[in-house]
Amino acid sequence: MNKILVANRGEIALRVMKTARKMGIKTVAVYSEADRHSPHVKFADEAVLIGKAPSSESYLSMEKIIAAAKETGAEGIHPGYGFLSENPRFAQLAADNGIIFIGPSPYSIEVMGNKLAAKEAVRHYKIPMVPGTEEVITDVALAEKIAKDIGLPILIKAAAGGGGKGMRVVESLKDLPDQLERAISEADAAFGDGAVFIEKYISSPRHIEIQVLADTHGNFVHLFERECSIQRRHQKVVEEAPSVILTPAMRSEMGSAAVKVAKSCNYEGAGTVEFLMDADANFYFLEMNTRLQVEHPVTELITGTDLVEQQIRIARGETLAFKQEDLSIEGHAIELRIYAEDPLENFTPSIGTLSTYTVPEGPGIRVDDGFEEGMRVPIYYDPMLAKLITYGKTREEAIQLMIAAINQYRVEGVATTLAFGKFVFEHKAFQSGNFDTNFVADFYSPETLYTKNAEELKIAALAGLQLYLENQKILKTPLSVASNWQKNRR
Amino acid sequence: MKDKKKILEGKLAKSRLGGGQQRINTQHAKGKLTARERLHFLLDDGSFEEMGALVTHRSKDFGMEKHVFYGDGVVTGYGTINGRQVCVFAQDFTVFGGSLSETHAEKICKIMDLAMKIGVPIIGLNDSGGARIQEGVRSLGGYADIFHRNVMASGVVPQISAIMGPCAGGAVYSPAITDFTIMVENSSYMFVTGPNVVKTVTNEDVTSEELGGAFTHASKSGVTHVTAANDLQCIEQIKKMVGYMPQNCEDTAADIPYNLGDEIREVLEDIVPLSARQPYDMLQVIHGIIDADTFFEIHREYAKNMVVGFARLAGKSIGIVANQPMYLAGVLDVDSSKKAARFTRFCDCFNIPLLVLVDVPGFLPGTDQEWNGIISNGAKLLYALSEATVPKVTVITRKAYGGAYDVMNSKHIGADLNYAWPSAEIAVMGARGASEIIFRKEIDAADDPGAKLAEQEAAYAAKFANPYEAAERGFIDAVIPPKNTRRKLIKAYTLLQNKAVSLPRKKHGNIPL
Repeated sequence: MNKILVANRGEIALRVMKTARKMGIKTVAVYSEADRHSPHVKFADEAVLIGKAPSSESYLSMEKIIAAAKETGAEGIHPGYGFLSENPRFAQLAADNGIIFIGPSPYSIEVMGNKLAAKEAVRHYKIPMVPGTEEVITDVALAEKIAKDIGLPILIKAAAGGGGKGMRVVESLKDLPDQLERAISEADAAFGDGAVFIEKYISSPRHIEIQVLADTHGNFVHLFERECSIQRRHQKVVEEAPSVILTPAMRSEMGSAAVKVAKSCNYEGAGTVEFLMDADANFYFLEMNTRLQVEHPVTELITGTDLVEQQIRIARGETLAFKQEDLSIEGHAIELRIYAEDPLENFTPSIGTLSTYTVPEGPGIRVDDGFEEGMRVPIYYDPMLAKLITYGKTREEAIQLMIAAINQYRVEGVATTLAFGKFVFEHKAFQSGNFDTNFVADFYSPETLYTKNAEELKIAALAGLQLYLENQKILKTPLSVASNWQKNRR
Repeated sequence: MKDKKKILEGKLAKSRLGGGQQRINTQHAKGKLTARERLHFLLDDGSFEEMGALVTHRSKDFGMEKHVFYGDGVVTGYGTINGRQVCVFAQDFTVFGGSLSETHAEKICKIMDLAMKIGVPIIGLNDSGGARIQEGVRSLGGYADIFHRNVMASGVVPQISAIMGPCAGGAVYSPAITDFTIMVENSSYMFVTGPNVVKTVTNEDVTSEELGGAFTHASKSGVTHVTAANDLQCIEQIKKMVGYMPQNCEDTAADIPYNLGDEIREVLEDIVPLSARQPYDMLQVIHGIIDADTFFEIHREYAKNMVVGFARLAGKSIGIVANQPMYLAGVLDVDSSKKAARFTRFCDCFNIPLLVLVDVPGFLPGTDQEWNGIISNGAKLLYALSEATVPKVTVITRKAYGGAYDVMNSKHIGADLNYAWPSAEIAVMGARGASEIIFRKEIDAADDPGAKLAEQEAAYAAKFANPYEAAERGFIDAVIPPKNTRRKLIKAYTLLQNKAVSLPRKKHGNIPL
C-alpha cells in the first residue's frame, strides 16, 4: 500500500495520517465544507472535498468517499472511529471497488454490530454473559416474565445500539410497559431499528475492555485492558491502562475471553472487547467494537505498540510480528477526553472559536488533537477537541503529570471538560482506584468547579489584556521615517 | 452665520448616513460593516480626514436627479495606520449598491493622484454592485480611469484591495492590478461574469460562492492572496500586511527595534529527516529562522507546494520564497511558479530583501503541466528572481535538482549569498534516477540488477547527493549547520543593506507573461 485515504476528520484523521507518513505511505484526506481549514486537511498529501457540512452529506457518504479514493488512487481506506468505521456495507463497497478496508471483514462487523447476533456467535465459547434474553422483545407480558426470572433491576437495550441511546433501567415491574415502549421508540429513532432486548442491570459496574489484534493468518493476541469507568451521560471521559483492580490472573482470564470473542467472528485487525465487572469482580461480555477505539493511545503507551501501524500491517497481509508472550505492561497511562462541553451546565456542547489554544508539552505528555488556535468548533460533529494522555512509571506519576498538563493546557473561546478532568484526577476516589461507572453521579457537582474557575478566569483576563497591549506595541512602527521620496522624485 | 453652520452640519450628517439607516441595518444584518465603520477600524483613532463628502452625481437620466446622496457611494480620504500615512477609499453599499458612477470614480482617482504625489500606499475597500447602469458609458470611462491609475501606481506605491462585498464584471480588474487582494469569506465574491451568464453560455450550474467566493479565489485561481473570516479580521490583516511594506518604492520598510542575542536556533537541527523521501514542513524551518510570530503568509491556500510571505528577521522586513516538501514534494509547477514570481516582483518593487529556501526535486512532469505552459510559467520565476536587485539570499535545505536548482535563486542568476545545509543535495537529479540512466547497460547486464542499481545509486549519492561538489565550484558560499542559519542571515542582510546594482538601460524588460 503506497497511499491510503482516511475517511474521517479531526484528531483521529490526523493520528492515522501521522503513522502512515511515518511508514512512508502517502495520505489522502477527505473533508466537508466546514472542515476546509482543518489540520487534517493541511497535513495530508492530498485532500478531496466531499460535500456539505452535515456528515450525512460528507463523512457518511460512502459513494463520495469511494469516488475520492479512486480519483486519488488510494489503495486503502482507514475509517478511523465513528462515521463509517462500523458499517459493513461500506467495508463491502470498498472491497467491491478493489480498495483495501483497513479493518475487519464485513462479516465480523455485521455480527458484532448486532448485540443479539454477537451473543449468538460467542455462545459456544463459554464467555460469561450478563443474564438476559437472546431474542428481540416486543411483548410486555414476556418482558415481565423475564424480568421476574432474572430479578430486578433490569436494563432494556437496543440491539443495534451504542452510546447509551435506547437504554432504559427498570427498577420496578409497574414501570416496565412504559419504559419498554420508550426504549423501542428511542432505538427506532436513533438507529432505524426498534429491536430491543433485556439484561440484568448491574448497578455499580466497572467498565473494562480488552484490546485485541488479529492478523489474516489466524494469529490472535490481546494487548491487555483499559479501564473506562469514568463516564458522563453513558460516554467515556477518562480512561486508563492498566486497571488498578485486575490481578495478573484476572487479566489473563479476561484476555483469553476477549481473544475467544474475536475468534468467534473470524476477526481481523484491531478490535476491542468490552466487559462489565460487578462489585464481586465477576466479568461479563458486553460487546465488541470492531474498530480503533478513541482511547487506544493508553494501550499504545503501556505496550509500546503503534496500533494504527499494526492495523495497516495486518491489512497488508503481514503476520503479527509478536506473540502473546512477547507482550508486557510497562508503566501506566491515563487519557482525558477534552470535549467542548460545559461541565458547569450538565455537559452541554459549547460552540465557539478557539481564541486561545495551546497544548502542554513535555516527556510523558501526548496530545492527539485536530484543532488549531483560531478555528471554530463546528456544530455538526462530535464535540471532542482533543485527547490528553500522560504516561508515567507508576499510576501516581501519570496522575501527577496529568494534573500538571491540564494546568498547562490553554483553551479559551469554548468551555471544556479540562476543569472537570482536574476534578476527577484530584479526587481521592479516583486516586485510590476505588470507583465505578457511577463516579460522576456520586461525586461530581458543578458547584465544586465554580470557585476555582472564577479565580482562573480573572488571571486569564489580565494575562490576555497584557498580551494585547504588548501586541499593539509590536505593530506600531515609528511615526516619522526619513523618506527618499522627495529627494529622488524632484 | 448660525444658519450657515446649521446647513453645513445638516449636509455632513446626511453624508455620514450614506443610503440611510434602513440600508445600514440591512448591511449589518448581512454581517457586514458600513464603509465608514470599516475605515474607523482600519485607521488610527481620529486620523481620518475625508475628502469629497459632499460630492453628488450629475446624472439626469431615468429620474436619477431625484435620488441624490452626498458622497455618491464612496468614502475617500486619508489617515494613518499605526502612525503611517495612507490614502483610502471605501465603497458604500448603502448608496445605489455601491455602484460606480462618473463622480464616484472621480473621487477614487483624486485620492490615487494624491497618493502618487506624496508617495503613500493606497488601500481600497471594495463593496460594489458594479457600474452605475443609468450612467452608461460614463461609468465605464470611470472604471478605465481607475485602471490606468492602478497601472501607473504599480511599483510606485503599494496598493491593497479588500473585497468586502460583490465585485463583478469590469470592476474586478482594479483589484487584479493592485499588489494584494484580501477577500472576506462568505460575504464577498469576484467574477467577470456571474452565475446567470455562466448558465446561459456554458450551461454550468454554479453558485456565486463556488464561482468566485473567497475560498475559490484563495485555492483555485489565486486571485485573492489572503482571506478573512469577517470584516474585522480583514481589516486587521490589512494593517498587519502594511507593516511589512515601505511607503513607496524610494523607501525601505521601517525596522522594528531588535536587540541581538546569540541567535542560535537548535530547533532547526532536527527538521530535515534523514531519508530524502520523507517530507517535512518548511514552515517549521521558516519559523525557526525568523522573529517569533512574524510570518505573514501570502497565498496560503494556493499552490501549496510553494510558501511565500513576509516576515521579520532581527526586526527587518523580508520576503520569503520557499519550496514546501509537504505538498507534491515541493515541486515547481505552473501555479507555484506564478505565485512565487509575483511575490518576488512585489518585494523587488518595494526594496524588501528576499530569502529563498530551497528543497526542490525539479519541475512537475506531465501533459497537464506542459500544455498549461510550465515552460513560460517556470520562466516567470526564473525571470523575476534573476531581475530582482534587492538583497537576495538562498539557503538550500535539501534537494536542489536540475533546472529547478538554477531557478531557485542560484548564485548564477544573481543571488548575493548562497548557503547550504549539510543535508543539501545539489545535483542534476536524484541518485536513483541518475544511476538508472548513466548505468543502464551495466544494470541490465548484471546478474542481480537490483543490487547493481543500489550499488551505483550509492556511488552517485556519495559524489553528488551533498553540497560539497557545488561548494568546491563556489556555487555555494558556505555550508552551514542549520542552527546557525538565523545568525548568518542576520549578518548577511546587514551586509547587503546598501547593495546597489542597476539593470541595463531599457524601457522595461519583457517578462514571459
